Amino acid sequence: MRTNRFLIALIALLAAALLYLAAFWEPVPQRPVEKIVPHGQLPPGTAPAGGDFVLQGPQGSVALADYRGKVVLIYFGYTWCPDVCPTSLSLLAQAIADLDPAERERVQAIFISVDPERDTPTRLREYAPFFHPALIGLSGSREQIAAVATAYGSSYQKQPANAEGNYAVDHSSATYVVDPQGRLAGSLPHAASPAQIVAFVRQQLAAANTR
Amino acid sequence: MPALLSALALAALLVLPVGVTAGDSDLVVSDAYVRLMPPGTPNSLAFMNISNRSGSDRRLLQAASPVARTVELHTHIDDHGVMRMRQVAAIDIPAGGRAELRSGGYHVMLIGLRQPLQEGERVPLTLRFDDGSTQKLEVPVRRPQPALEAGPPAAHGKH
Repeated sequence: MRTNRFLIALIALLAAALLYLAAFWEPVPQRPVEKIVPHGQLPPGTAPAGGDFVLQGPQGSVALADYRGKVVLIYFGYTWCPDVCPTSLSLLAQAIADLDPAERERVQAIFISVDPERDTPTRLREYAPFFHPALIGLSGSREQIAAVATAYGSSYQKQPANAEGNYAVDHSSATYVVDPQGRLAGSLPHAASPAQIVAFVRQQLAAANTR
Repeated sequence: MPALLSALALAALLVLPVGVTAGDSDLVVSDAYVRLMPPGTPNSLAFMNISNRSGSDRRLLQAASPVARTVELHTHIDDHGVMRMRQVAAIDIPAGGRAELRSGGYHVMLIGLRQPLQEGERVPLTLRFDDGSTQKLEVPVRRPQPALEAGPPAAHGKH
């Protein structure tokens, strides 16, 4: 008898819970597959802020603020990267070559290493000009690189080393575009074509001209 | 219905190569090149297309080259924009189709170059497949090709 009453109470409780859920439960909308979109399209608060930084270049310190008045294209990668970085940097170099000379004067391309242990400023001086003479490579302390990458929404992860001590670094492969006022204007996805890069750069230059 | 089935069977017979045995000649490597890397870079890679003209699926199991200390088959996984490079045991080459080793996907990774590669140099590369066949190639060293490497893989209808 006691068991029966207990069961009835349990059923009533579960029924109430079911009714409550039926009335008030809203399914959490499924998260859409993440895509790299221009930061302007992201909801406020989630957009990476970008912002100024100072890192080590081929001839000493280089500050983003040194390039006010120019559109700055920033790519995060590492020099041991066999495929993704050379692909992105050659597309970037082609885009710079496709600009007309007056536009090129107002554009700076920067490669920031996410592997500062191996990519010293000296190593980057050897590496970057292979793609375009105007491309500069920047390095810094692990903390400095992490801070800049976070500010721009770039992510990376060093992988375990093999027997010979070599390792790969997983990294995002977007190209970040900073407008002539130093603000992060958006990003281009991996393998964006030179035409897409040129179009974005021209848009930023045109916007700066009308201000 | 039986008419439809026999039509389909006939179509299948026409499409499938009949009586072709898998051998070296059924796997055709084209557009192979080794990437010229910036000075001082210890690694490089090879891209190519491998067409399979046989009626059976094939797999590329191994690549070897005297120019590098280690040669591995790799792919990239695009994880929400983060490119994760990983070694793979084999690369599938479907029957009647092809494997594309191209930027952002599969490649033959050359790890620990014994000496810097020069543009235009030809690199010996041996491929070993799951049917026991091997192919010896002389693959030219070329600069990264922006025109070939932008965007998603091209349609397969060209060949």
